[in-house]
Amino acid sequence: MTYILYGILLTAFALVAAKRFDALIGTFRLQAVLLAALAFIEAWHGGGFGIYIIAVLLLIVKGGVIPYFLSRILKEIGASEDLGFFLTPQLSLLLSVFFAYLSWQFSGRIFPGEDLLLKISGTAAFTLLLVGTQIMIFRLKALAQIIGLLVMENGIFLLGIALAGGLPFLVEIAVFLDVFISVMILGVFVYRINRLFTGIDVSRLNRLKG
Amino acid sequence: MELYSLLLIPLFLALAALLIGRSRSFGAINALGYLAELSCGLFFSAAFLERPEPFTRGLFFVDSLTIFFVLVITIVAFAAALYSIGFLERERRQMKVTDKKSGYYYFLFNLFILAMLLATMVNNLGLLWVAIELTTLISAFLVGFYNTKFSVEAAWKYLIICSVGIILALLGTILFAYVFSLTGGISLNWSDLSAAAGQFDPDLVKFAFIFIIVGYGTKAGLAPMHTWLPDAHSQAISPASALLSGLLLKTALYAIIRYGLIVVKCVGFGFFSHLMLLFGLFSLLIAAGFVLAQKDLKRLLAYSSIEHIGIIAVGIGLGGPLALYGAFLHLLGHAAAKSLMFFGAGNIIQAYDRHNMNSIRGVIRVLPFTGLFFLAGLFALAGFPPFSLFRSEVMILMSAFGRGSYLIAGSLLLFMTVIFGALVFHAGKMIFGPRPPEVPPAKEDLAGKLAFIFLLLIIVVLGVWVPGPLDRLLILVVDTTRGI
Repeated sequence: MTYILYGILLTAFALVAAKRFDALIGTFRLQAVLLAALAFIEAWHGGGFGIYIIAVLLLIVKGGVIPYFLSRILKEIGASEDLGFFLTPQLSLLLSVFFAYLSWQFSGRIFPGEDLLLKISGTAAFTLLLVGTQIMIFRLKALAQIIGLLVMENGIFLLGIALAGGLPFLVEIAVFLDVFISVMILGVFVYRINRLFTGIDVSRLNRLKG
Repeated sequence: MELYSLLLIPLFLALAALLIGRSRSFGAINALGYLAELSCGLFFSAAFLERPEPFTRGLFFVDSLTIFFVLVITIVAFAAALYSIGFLERERRQMKVTDKKSGYYYFLFNLFILAMLLATMVNNLGLLWVAIELTTLISAFLVGFYNTKFSVEAAWKYLIICSVGIILALLGTILFAYVFSLTGGISLNWSDLSAAAGQFDPDLVKFAFIFIIVGYGTKAGLAPMHTWLPDAHSQAISPASALLSGLLLKTALYAIIRYGLIVVKCVGFGFFSHLMLLFGLFSLLIAAGFVLAQKDLKRLLAYSSIEHIGIIAVGIGLGGPLALYGAFLHLLGHAAAKSLMFFGAGNIIQAYDRHNMNSIRGVIRVLPFTGLFFLAGLFALAGFPPFSLFRSEVMILMSAFGRGSYLIAGSLLLFMTVIFGALVFHAGKMIFGPRPPEVPPAKEDLAGKLAFIFLLLIIVVLGVWVPGPLDRLLILVVDTTRGI
């Protein structure tokens, strides 16, 4: 289980170091698969039947449908592979290593017990949260922002699994559905942005001020 | 029974809008539906007042706080439904909205109301999160309704900023679930958490609540997380701007209050109070700055919303019966007054085809009825007697003085005065003056006029006298939130 957590941490670094959209989406898919594996193990250890379903859903939705949907948008609007760097991948990577360190300190503070697994889960979760934010801020393409949001959500999901053995089943399903719908809706707006602004560079969305 | 019909009416209307929404008479059907919804809301409140005990039913939890928010939602939704009839008819005539799009509008309108009602009624804090996220997703289409560069930019920023905010709120929700699980409970029901709040780990609760207040505060329009708000409010289709400002912000505030009740039970009032006062006063500061320099009519109103959310937050943060009564009365008064103003702004922008307040003159000659009510609403919003917002602001101020918080009271007064001046200066000069030759006098429809009269009546009546049942409800709300 610890290895999977390390794997998730590595995918977080790979996400900020990604230079092209297909690498970003591919890494995101890998991350989703790892998360699903984690959920399976949690369920195996007696997390309850609901978590199996969540794991399967995670695999299908975040490991399959959403990456497919995002690559299709990319292909249809013929956007360039460039992510629109506001901060180079190298600097971003440095920053995210620093974030991982902060997260480690931070989860040491809020989970002061002896439970090392919880501490590592917390580290991975908060790192994902910060890395997601970083992608949203420092990558200027609308699609990259969607992925940043999803990465943040992955972090929360990880924390949820680690802390409470997941939320109540009904809530978890509802949250899942919600995330799915929100990606679809963001996708619709990516099409609109692409049509109106001839491209998906969000730095061009600067008309509204004051 | 009323509980389910409250939810079923908007659901049914949303489905009907899908089928027959493009028909020209759907606006009237919709308004009738909301008349029924409003009466449901009133019956619901009346039934509750007879036996004012909180109860759970299925997924729902109802106490006086729920009843109060449901009442506010049904009132504003009814007015917006009335106003939408004429507004959309004129948009169709000006070729800005096609028949098909008008059906789409009514579909979104009803889903939006449904999501907000759900948010105020569900017991489970996870479902509360889902409902609030749904309000974002639905209203994003109302913000991007006209599909112009401006509106799509506003909608994108709205979606992205509020999604990040809401993710932080989800983190807070999970942390609350964790805190509860440490005491042996497995549930996210507010009623369970609230009952066990005394045993929670105080540090973790504080930590979790920071995510909640930043997360839901983003949606409530508290500064400095307010940056989506002026764009979204100004670009949305006008009746939807009223819903965003009048209701959506308050729904998010409702979520903060719900968590606040748990936090106060666990760590005492100080922590919660300081955060609310901090965010509230900062919102007032930001609003005062931007209102002064504003040229765009709807953005002016948007910043004024930030001001009023700030005032309500300060009222809740001050605590005590007087401030709480004032805060909730202010919430109702602001919902009515701001909707009135956005309706007025919608009519004005429709007639003049421009947003810039410097190039709008002589509203009273072009739209006599709207102009008059807009002027009244302006003074109400600025906190002028005899309107209810004056009364509630005085209550909050008096409570601040009574507590000896002179700094808070002083800055409240200062910001409110600045905003008063700026609002009346900017928007007031549009009302009078000669009619521009290129703008012909416009017709105003009966339903729209009724919406204006309905809303103004509320703020005028509440300004002089709070009717008995509402007074009892407000006192019950104060009792519920008394811990605060």
